[in-house]
Amino acid sequence: MNAGWTVRILGVVIAVLLIVPTIVICATAFTSGTSVSFPPTGFSFRWIEDVLGDRRWMRAFGNSFAVGALSAVFAMVAGGALALGAARAKGAISTVFTAVSVLPMILPLVVGAIGFYLVYARFGLTGNVLGLALAHGVLGLPYVFVNVLALLRTLDPRVEEAARVHGAGQFATLVTITLPMIAPAAVVGGLLAFISSWDEVVVATFLSDARFQTLPVLMYGQIRSGVEPSVSAVALIVTVVTFVIALIVFAVGPIRARILQRSSR
Amino acid sequence: MGGILTHHGGGRRWWISVGLLGLLFVVLALILPLAVVVQRSFDAGFDNFADALESASFIRSLGNTATLAVTVTITSAVIGYPFAYAMARSGKMLSRILMTALMLSFWTSLLVRSYAWQVLLNDTGLINKLLQASGIIDEPLQLIRTPTATLIGMTHILVPFAILAIYAQLRSISPDLAIAAHGLGATRARAFWTVTFPLSIPGLAAGSLLVFVLTLGFYITPQLLGGAGNQVIGQSIVEQTNTLLNTGVGSAMAVLLLLAVIVILGVAARFLGLGRVLGIATERNSA
Repeated sequence: MNAGWTVRILGVVIAVLLIVPTIVICATAFTSGTSVSFPPTGFSFRWIEDVLGDRRWMRAFGNSFAVGALSAVFAMVAGGALALGAARAKGAISTVFTAVSVLPMILPLVVGAIGFYLVYARFGLTGNVLGLALAHGVLGLPYVFVNVLALLRTLDPRVEEAARVHGAGQFATLVTITLPMIAPAAVVGGLLAFISSWDEVVVATFLSDARFQTLPVLMYGQIRSGVEPSVSAVALIVTVVTFVIALIVFAVGPIRARILQRSSR
Repeated sequence: MGGILTHHGGGRRWWISVGLLGLLFVVLALILPLAVVVQRSFDAGFDNFADALESASFIRSLGNTATLAVTVTITSAVIGYPFAYAMARSGKMLSRILMTALMLSFWTSLLVRSYAWQVLLNDTGLINKLLQASGIIDEPLQLIRTPTATLIGMTHILVPFAILAIYAQLRSISPDLAIAAHGLGATRARAFWTVTFPLSIPGLAAGSLLVFVLTLGFYITPQLLGGAGNQVIGQSIVEQTNTLLNTGVGSAMAVLLLLAVIVILGVAARFLGLGRVLGIATERNSA
């Protein structure tokens, strides 16, 4: 039975409330005035240009991109390995692999942030791309794990067995048969891991210093010290990048589904 | 040769060693740091825990966090249910529009959304402007730096988790059941409350639980929207470690928070199944 008119109207009202904040930020980024207010006064690209021409913002942009990309690689390798282990080892070992892969998902970020800070600082892993990418990689690993595990459950085991029967070794089978089959799921998980790194603030704040900051860290500092429209411009850029990647995830989705159909036949 | 035919192109031992590679990464990058937090929390016996629990501001933050978690959970359920219902039980067109709005909100970063609410709830923000323009109030209301501001921002950030859980459950219930009840003489409302709603409770429970647990660890949103007197656990922890440079007490608080999360999820897993709760969490992390 379809929802009645009251529920439908309520749904639309809630939908508007859900997107209002996103719209407000995008609109304030195009103000021609000097204060962040909604509705904005006038229309201009001055704040966007301001940000694109600012070396501090651009360096933070580069840092965020490098951290996100490297963390996605860590998440794909480790998450993929754990998913293979969890799917094909049985019993207690499989449970351990799953539990470890789920842990980053339930961990409050503040708790993780203290731990990362206490340990990473001892190994020179604060204030640089590698340290933050390791932390974000392990936090983004569940996205890869869940996606790859779901795909592995649907794969036809005979494909790999055929390779083995025809003389391929375990390693050769893994590299030439298994990895290409799980790659689409790993890429989807990796993109999600990238996004989660791209807008993460808490851990990034703990692992950054005055010379090394990511976009969210710099943004957070600006928001706290007094807002000007350039913050909205950065927020707009951050949001657009996330939306583009989210669209790629949706676009890769059907490819994944086609592969699933093909292998289940 | 028989073994390989049952173990997907490699012996079980081979796949365990592949998994161990990933395990090693998690142990070094995450579990070791967590172990150090636990170790640091006990570096003065139980004194750090005693200090934490004797601190009036920490106890207040526990109360604030509990209140916040309960209110965010309730508002998310109340707002999320009708939205999920409209999404699950209407035509393709409306359903798509609602899903798009949900995804646009869901994919906007937590920091950006907290910032947006700061702009909206300001003394000169849109909400105060609208209220003043309509003549309801003369002076701007103090909205920012109040528990209400935190509640609004947190609900906005977490309601998608409730919606997705409820939506998934509603989709699994055949609409024919309510139609049958209607056909047998039940009013629409009665068909909903006696047939559809009871069947949707597992989704509602899983979504609510997830929202509750995620609220416990929040830091950024309360920091940007809440007032000085509304500190939550996350803020207490960061205050100890960053401002007071007391990592021992901060670690003790962190251990207590982690324990609370694990206990709540552990108990819930017995009733709901952890996969159901976390299956939704994998859509998009938060906090």
